[in-house]
Amino acid sequence: MASTREETVKGHDGAKQVTRRGFLRWISGIGAVVSAAVVGFPAIRAFVSPVLAAPPPDDWVKVADDIALLDVGVPVRVNFVQSTVDAWLESRTLNGVWLFTEDGEKFKAYNGHCTHLGCAYIYDKEHKDFLCPCHHGQFDVATGRVLAGPPPRPLDELEVQVRDSAVFVKYRDFRLGIAEKVEA
Amino acid sequence: MGAIGRWLDKRLDLASIRKTLLDRKMPAGLTWWHTLGSATLAVFVVQITTGIVLAMYYSPSPDHAYDSIRFIERTVASGSLLRGIHHWGASAMVVLVVAHMIRVFTMGSYKYPREANWILGVALLCLVMAFGFTGYLLPWDQKAYWATQVGTNIAGTAPVIGGTLVTLLRGGSQLGAATLARFFALHVLLLPILLGGIVMLHLVIVVRQGIAAPPKVLEEDAPGRTDDPQYAQFYDAKYAQSKASGVRFWPDIIAKDIIVATAVILLLVILGRFFGAGLDAPADPTDAAYVPRPEWYFLPFFQLLKFVPGSMESFVAIGVPTLLVLVLLLLPFFDRRSIRSLVHRPIALTSLGGVTVACALLFGASMSEAPHTGIPQEVGHPLTSTERAGRVLFDQQQCGSCHAIAGRKAPEKNADVPDAPELTDIGLKHTAGWMHSYIEDPTRFHPDSKMPAFGPPTLSHQEIEELAQYLATLRGPHWATAQPEFRDTFPEPVKPKEK
Repeated sequence: MASTREETVKGHDGAKQVTRRGFLRWISGIGAVVSAAVVGFPAIRAFVSPVLAAPPPDDWVKVADDIALLDVGVPVRVNFVQSTVDAWLESRTLNGVWLFTEDGEKFKAYNGHCTHLGCAYIYDKEHKDFLCPCHHGQFDVATGRVLAGPPPRPLDELEVQVRDSAVFVKYRDFRLGIAEKVEA
Repeated sequence: MGAIGRWLDKRLDLASIRKTLLDRKMPAGLTWWHTLGSATLAVFVVQITTGIVLAMYYSPSPDHAYDSIRFIERTVASGSLLRGIHHWGASAMVVLVVAHMIRVFTMGSYKYPREANWILGVALLCLVMAFGFTGYLLPWDQKAYWATQVGTNIAGTAPVIGGTLVTLLRGGSQLGAATLARFFALHVLLLPILLGGIVMLHLVIVVRQGIAAPPKVLEEDAPGRTDDPQYAQFYDAKYAQSKASGVRFWPDIIAKDIIVATAVILLLVILGRFFGAGLDAPADPTDAAYVPRPEWYFLPFFQLLKFVPGSMESFVAIGVPTLLVLVLLLLPFFDRRSIRSLVHRPIALTSLGGVTVACALLFGASMSEAPHTGIPQEVGHPLTSTERAGRVLFDQQQCGSCHAIAGRKAPEKNADVPDAPELTDIGLKHTAGWMHSYIEDPTRFHPDSKMPAFGPPTLSHQEIEELAQYLATLRGPHWATAQPEFRDTFPEPVKPKEK
């Protein structure tokens, strides 16, 4: 606050003394700052809460109970229900992956959507490859490489872990129809 | 003032604003009681601040309202504190507005020339109460649902227009989705605009008229009545005199205002932090056993209705608040004596004392009648939708006319009704699966059971399952800690008849 009046005056001993007005201003300032801080801090903290939020917890999904039960050399489609939390909304979505192993030890998992336009592709037993029924995209079972058709990139491979002979997958969706693998 | 200040001053003439707003002289002898109005304003600002952020995480739909509140409480950083401050801030608004009003009343400050501002003040009081009523429903918990059920029903008792009024309030005949959306819109859109606007007007008038001088100053040698032609002249002279010996608004008065406002705000933060806002079980329209109670500031009125015979209820429920507001609105017009000190105004003193004592007594009575802790165990843990459906079936099928459950109406004993087992803690004795089979056909378990079979076509298997699931939740008064000891014994399976 600007003022032409003196905030302080010289005392008898020459030391500066705070006047009554100066003191009242000082008290007002402190009070205003304290009030604004005690309410403003939680308000702002709650407002920016989404930025402060901790990274989502472990989201590995179990897709097979026992590796011994999976056929070697033949891919298998596993559907699972994943509950997703959107703020206060909890919803369950049905997702699917294709699991494939050549040796019963190392596993590959592909997102169940064709990278072209997101159709669910199937296993073509005759040609031993993946076939998308929508636009006849074909993928290699062992690598996910595009063999034929319009798909712009290989199948989206997912991270796989084997823990105590159960298979876990970290399910992710990716943007479709483009050459780069970008998380959706 | 700084470069920016000078630049602005040159264009906006800030100096003259400063002169009218900050440097203006205030009458001598203002007390700490004169800070109540500005403290109310400070809490209003707190309510706006916290309310805006709360609204960012709130969903005004019965499906999600409760979950969004729980999200605020558990997930949003400082969300619980913020909601606590907002909750206690609501109470503080009511306390401060009423205290401010009592200050103005006891000092006779509503008299000439401040009648108009008193009327605006009465409007603000009504708006604050409306804020409290609409905000109370938003968490959509049991407390909110049932208090609003009762509150809207009170409006429904109004003669002639009652039915229309209750439909209007609820946005339909039943309390539901439309009610919640309506209350939310009122609470965050209409009421803030009205309150903000009237507060603005209230303040402009305060600045124009100045704060009333202490009663004594304006009483000495005063004409007997304020409508005396001489009074205006007398008032102007006295008021100018009082201001001449007074202090400046800034910083003398503002410092006092800020000290009180800061103390109130700190108190709110402490209450919000350590007591929070609380959250009951989710609203359950099928739970007829819940005892509704309104927020504390409506309790005296709530209690009053208990003492009123049914035939008088609509008169009292609508009449008393209307009368109270009317009396307040008209007060400056029928009280035109120039005397201002409360001690010289016996009628005012008696009325204020009478209303205060009546409210205190009613409040005390309602507190002593507070529901005892032996509430139905169902309140403790919210029922799932299946279990709730089961309870509805329990009522529909009139299971309760033979079977008693603690906290629900006990059956009237008569010769026609067989002695049926009490079901208060049936969930500790049998599993839902066993009860499902039993309800289907009791005679398979006890050949001489008097209970009718409820299997299809009376009830579908799904309905029986709902009923069984509900019964499984009944775990007696110590439901939280009780350990079930199941004693399920099934009869021998019926052998298929050989042909």
